Amino acid sequence: MAEPTPRVKLPRSIEPGVPFTVKTRITHPMHTGERHDSEGALVPRRIINRFVVSYGGEVVISVNLEPAVSADPYIQFEMAVPASGLLEFQWFDDDGSVYSLQKQVEVG
Amino acid sequence: MMAPTRRDVLLLSASATAAALIPAGAAEASNGVWQAIDEFTGGALRLEGGVLLDAPEIFDNGGAVPIRVVAEGARRIALFNDGNPNPGVAEFTFGRLVRPEATIRIRLARSQTVYAVAEMEDGTFREASQKIAVTVGGCG
Repeated sequence: MAEPTPRVKLPRSIEPGVPFTVKTRITHPMHTGERHDSEGALVPRRIINRFVVSYGGEVVISVNLEPAVSADPYIQFEMAVPASGLLEFQWFDDDGSVYSLQKQVEVG
Repeated sequence: MMAPTRRDVLLLSASATAAALIPAGAAEASNGVWQAIDEFTGGALRLEGGVLLDAPEIFDNGGAVPIRVVAEGARRIALFNDGNPNPGVAEFTFGRLVRPEATIRIRLARSQTVYAVAEMEDGTFREASQKIAVTVGGCG
């Protein structure tokens, strides 16, 4: 499997205290553990089981994911920030890997 | 804390008058969805209203069904299904900087009902549900 690639989309300009939409996605097969491959062997479960977004160290949103979440998990939410800061995204894989992405948010 | 939109105010005021208890085990489900919801709520009663579950009634691709859920005043929202092998879908915990709203794409193995259960700031629980018909099931 190719290394999962996270992507995050933010609006071009962000005003302090004004809600903006955050779109997130990571390439990942989200193997449910229920499916068989072409040879009939069960493909073991391997999913992104947790997604956490924090801003300046404060948790913005955390999500527990189950196998019912689609492949290439897409999560969108709305947030607001009082001032400029670092927005951090982390995806936790069943295999222990953690995929991270950071975005500097400049308000103004 | 963000100000609620006019739509949310309407949604909440409509729901307050129409609030009704959700009957326990309202339908037969074989995948343990009622037990899963009880684990999330600690067995607390759930009220209808206050949760907007925005999902298609019919969707072609069960592998990626778009779901949007909003519950103004919620700390946590969990999504469940009654027709996949496992009843859990996703659970969102909201901090101070985010609106209690999320959009996600989910897999539905067949046509079934999706439930959104919200834990409110006062510790009560609210629920909404939506039947979704899928033309092609998203393989479990």
